[in-house]
Amino acid sequence: MRNRYRLGIDAGGTFTDFVLAENNGSLRVFKSPSTPHDGTIAIKAGLAQISEAVQRPIEEIVQECDLCINGTTVALNALIEKKGVKVGLLCTEGHEDSLEIRLGHKEEGYRYEADFPPAHMIAPRHLRRPIRERVTGTGDVNIPLHEQDIRDAVSYFKEQEVESVAISFVWAVRNPAHEKRAKEIVQEMMPGVFVCTGSEVYPQVREYTRTSTTVVNAYLSPVMARYVQKIDDYFQSLGAKSPVRYFQSNGGLAIGEAMRGRAVNAINSGPASAPQAGLFVGQPFDINNVITVDMGGTSFDITLTKDGQTNLNKNIDFLRYRIGVPMIQVETLGAGGGSICHVDEYGMLNVGPESAGANPGPVCYGKGGTRPTVTDANLVLGYLNPKAVLGGTIHLDRDAAIQAVKEHVADPLGISVEKAAYGISTIVNLNMVNGIRRVSIERGYDPRDFALLCAGGAAGMHITALAEEIGSRTVLVPKVSSVFCAFGQIISDVRYNYLASEPMRLDDHANLEALNKKFDELETQGREHLISDGFSNSQISCSRSVEMRYVGQIHECNVEIHPGEITREKIASVLDDFHKRHEELYTYSEPHNPVELVNIESTMVGNVEKPEFMQVAQRGSTAADALVEYRPALFDDDGHWTDTPVYSGPELDVGVTIDGPAVVEEPTTNIVVRPGWQLVLEPNNCYRLTRIN
Amino acid sequence: MSSSVDPITLAVVRGALETAQREMTLTLEKTGRSSVFNLAHDYSNALFDHYPEMILQGQDIPIHLGSLIPAMKEVADYFGDDIHEGDVIYHNDPAYKGSHILDCCMYKPVFYQGELVFWTVCKGHLTDIGGPVPAGYNPDAKEIYAEGLRIPPVKLWEKGKRRDDVINLLLTNMRARRDQEGDLNAQYGACRVGERNLIALLDKYGVAEVKACIAELKNMADRQMRSLIAKVPDGEYYGSAVLEDAGHGFGDMEITSKVTIKGDSVHIEVQSPPQVPYFINSYEGNSMSGVYLGLMMFAQLPPPYNEGLYRAVTVDLGPKGTLCNAEEPAPHVNCTTTPMETLTDAVRKALEEAAPERVSASWGHASGINIAGIDPRTGEQYVTMVLASIISGAGATQVMDGWHACGPLCCFGALSSGDTELLEYSYPIIIRRYGLIPDSGGAGMYRGGSGTVWEVEPIDHEMTVVAFGEGRKIPTMGAAGATNQLLEPKLGRLVIQREDEETVYKANTIESVKAGERVANFNPGGGGYGNPFTRPPENVLEDYRNGLVSLDAARMEYGVEIDPVAMAINSEATAALRQQLSTHRV
Repeated sequence: MRNRYRLGIDAGGTFTDFVLAENNGSLRVFKSPSTPHDGTIAIKAGLAQISEAVQRPIEEIVQECDLCINGTTVALNALIEKKGVKVGLLCTEGHEDSLEIRLGHKEEGYRYEADFPPAHMIAPRHLRRPIRERVTGTGDVNIPLHEQDIRDAVSYFKEQEVESVAISFVWAVRNPAHEKRAKEIVQEMMPGVFVCTGSEVYPQVREYTRTSTTVVNAYLSPVMARYVQKIDDYFQSLGAKSPVRYFQSNGGLAIGEAMRGRAVNAINSGPASAPQAGLFVGQPFDINNVITVDMGGTSFDITLTKDGQTNLNKNIDFLRYRIGVPMIQVETLGAGGGSICHVDEYGMLNVGPESAGANPGPVCYGKGGTRPTVTDANLVLGYLNPKAVLGGTIHLDRDAAIQAVKEHVADPLGISVEKAAYGISTIVNLNMVNGIRRVSIERGYDPRDFALLCAGGAAGMHITALAEEIGSRTVLVPKVSSVFCAFGQIISDVRYNYLASEPMRLDDHANLEALNKKFDELETQGREHLISDGFSNSQISCSRSVEMRYVGQIHECNVEIHPGEITREKIASVLDDFHKRHEELYTYSEPHNPVELVNIESTMVGNVEKPEFMQVAQRGSTAADALVEYRPALFDDDGHWTDTPVYSGPELDVGVTIDGPAVVEEPTTNIVVRPGWQLVLEPNNCYRLTRIN
Repeated sequence: MSSSVDPITLAVVRGALETAQREMTLTLEKTGRSSVFNLAHDYSNALFDHYPEMILQGQDIPIHLGSLIPAMKEVADYFGDDIHEGDVIYHNDPAYKGSHILDCCMYKPVFYQGELVFWTVCKGHLTDIGGPVPAGYNPDAKEIYAEGLRIPPVKLWEKGKRRDDVINLLLTNMRARRDQEGDLNAQYGACRVGERNLIALLDKYGVAEVKACIAELKNMADRQMRSLIAKVPDGEYYGSAVLEDAGHGFGDMEITSKVTIKGDSVHIEVQSPPQVPYFINSYEGNSMSGVYLGLMMFAQLPPPYNEGLYRAVTVDLGPKGTLCNAEEPAPHVNCTTTPMETLTDAVRKALEEAAPERVSASWGHASGINIAGIDPRTGEQYVTMVLASIISGAGATQVMDGWHACGPLCCFGALSSGDTELLEYSYPIIIRRYGLIPDSGGAGMYRGGSGTVWEVEPIDHEMTVVAFGEGRKIPTMGAAGATNQLLEPKLGRLVIQREDEETVYKANTIESVKAGERVANFNPGGGGYGNPFTRPPENVLEDYRNGLVSLDAARMEYGVEIDPVAMAINSEATAALRQQLSTHRV
């Protein structure tokens, strides 16, 4: 680190987390309640805590930061609460309804339900205006742009007090001239109003996806811009040396300037730093394949990284909006400690997605909850200490938990309370395993090849059981797991994705010159962008991927290729990789059939120097020194209680091994070490659990 | 709980079955070669046990799924003892309870330690099946033999060995062979992915426990359906729906259903006119789908679905040789939409009478087009059903307006129309318009969803257009007192623009369209729910603002007077108009 400090601020739904890394290797962690209406309030409160803890004015600390990083849910909240700005859309005449037709599809799971509503329209029909123009798939102009249509539409937008304009024309990805001209006219007629085009926001083939992405971006960017302005101003007023970096859904940082016009790039940034943090924590153990699981009170987030590369999603429905831009694939389930357990009309035990949240919370919190939750079941099973949760600030009522599990689960199913509690745990684990399948098996990866990385307050109690289910033999639980995302952000790089479409068959006639030229363009643009962000050439790196398919297929497989000139030989090896990948994913390949390339992408990374963290020194104590008590706990559905040793995590020394069954208590989480597992605290302040039989 | 299975294992098994089916669907979507597979999702996957009974029906196309139940049994019976590990069976023939010959179905028996435990089944609509007309919809066929290739149950893999000769025989009979071969591979991949999942489940819990859980899952579905039926008063209920003459000259035809509720079971009897030498006859398998869809519109149950749902249901499709219980040599290719959707309406209507509190309006029927020609870019032949052309409006329900662009009835939102650019990339066409049709949604307190228009122009070649379906003369049925005044925009039609002349087609037809000419296919909106005069005027104004309801329709159908300049409701005039029209209409 060039300077003394680096500051990470992650605004979550409930808490805003702060991490302050210092160049002596120390890491401090703070939390302040989030203030969604004005995020700066929580930030100021957190900075005041930091100032007090470090015993220095906050200005001095900020001025000595090499980077201040902010992960924000501003865009996400605006999307969830439908509080973006009023958007008008200009589109090719005849295609103004693609946004509302949504490919004519109703989401799975609601086939026969009569009360499942259609998706919310950001731009209602009267604000989607047809423009006479048409480009074809070859990029040729079929109908010239009628500029008067744009002027008429913009006049209507002004009358309607539209605050943001999206422009998306059919095949603009092959020829953006009409979109560019339309943008000029909008800017001229509505100065100061935000405007973006499909070919800028998501330059890939698929009109519906591109239009939808552009509209969402227009909806959120003005909101994001206001937020960024506020934060940038505030940090400038504190004397920050470099612009604040914001975290994006692609797992990388961006400066505010890039963020203002691309809010759609930040809509799921919260959990997107988990893979980076996972790799960092796994590094000392040469772990490059990581599945991260983050379980809090209401949700369970999963990501997957293979060989250091994290799964990305493109072209997905996010909160029922179709989004094209690459986002770290985060599988989110309604499975948290607060998830409510109930027996449905079929007589089947279900857990979640309904959650008791923080209020009333689980039954055992004694705040009025009456229906049993996952936390209640964990308490019944002996995984939680009734006397010491959250550092002893909350006492848990185990009898109430037992009663709730009996009344709502055990009795209706005609089974014992023990079996019911264990069953709840089994079901919630099953839901999580199915979530893990979606990031692993459905992407052609075998989960047995991965380490599980555990974050969030509730995951530790399920993690060894989950690992057994998916066949993973290694689990990592870092002590920073409660501020895992903020931690991930301060060790992340600046990352921008540059996309283009360059459809061609990969045969002997493939136009490699055009392909090389396109990559060069993308990468030159990216390099310039990063240099203007303050990176030097030596700090910039680049990776490439191409999307390929058999001729006639519509969905592509993503294949990584190395940067540098693309030659015939290189294409041959890319084709081999493609056939192999297709086979991994779908059980077969067709090596004799022609293959085509569709979209290309260059990911440009401005490498940020990582902080060095202190290694924890061995104190020379034994496991017995950390032993708190023995407590009965259940590890099987046979109802057999095991007298289980409980250890205090903060008292546990580096290098001491503990064999399961055991429970390790940390102030913000409990780790259940199931029989057959061994736990050890590593010098990087991370618990490592290994399956030993 | 009345069963002896462990409730926790039961939940785990249910989850594993759902995952297996889901991953089959994912495989088909990602690897399918024709636009019908990869863009439109016109395919369905299901799992069967050893009986074979359906143990998991996915979220796919309703019209496929009902017919899978009898078809699977037919296929298993056909081979009897001659079913072995590594076999893969293929079939499309309606005489063996298939739906229509374009829907080709793959059945893979799953063996575990030498025992047949499951079947993974994958049905998909191929873009061509041979025969005289590309894409299979031949309105001139007088017999099934003139429609395309019939495939009785046949093994494509035998004991793990691919029968290249048989596969070659099939593919040789189809247009756009590479697409069909790719889709066949995709089906094979899906069946294998399903098999892989099921074997992992058996490894974990063993055959006995998994079988016990599956038996209980079917019992649960049975109990669920019976408890719904038990709430309906015992009695006989009648419903009927009219199938329009779509140009065949046999006149309009009435399909009726009698639903008898007795305690917790239901018997459904269907009556239809004699079969006709035109492609709208429905064989038994397909008609079962129509009946089951009407039932599911009543039951509105959340997933998962299995054969236990139908244990309380008995069905009599009427005498052999009738429209809804056709037999050889009746031509049938249009049957998955026509007359199936009319049959569904007849059943839905009888159930509306039985349980008015559960009714929804009907959805727009399919009136669409297939296109074919030689792609000037490659010189290769192309042929496809244009699923985008049949995306109609959904029916309004008791609580909300119908979804726009979500039909047709037979697919119930499971279809996908495909992206405009991807369609233009795959076929030599320019799509001029893909949009909602003003005034197409049925009028009601809740408005029916709008239908869509798909307008296309061939690039540098002559394109064959085959129009099929109906809903061009009789509008979509509303419910609970919904009525329409402006009928024309609510109906389907085909419009061809040739030079200065515009031709409107209301009958099924095969046309040729040259570069520079345009074809627009309009399909119907969904039915409305409730008296339109009780629709809040501000909702009508909002529809007007959005161009979904015209001034005339606001006035005639909803009794709402709008001042278009002020974009406001004239409340007094509206009250007076509603008063006057109600009196008049009574």
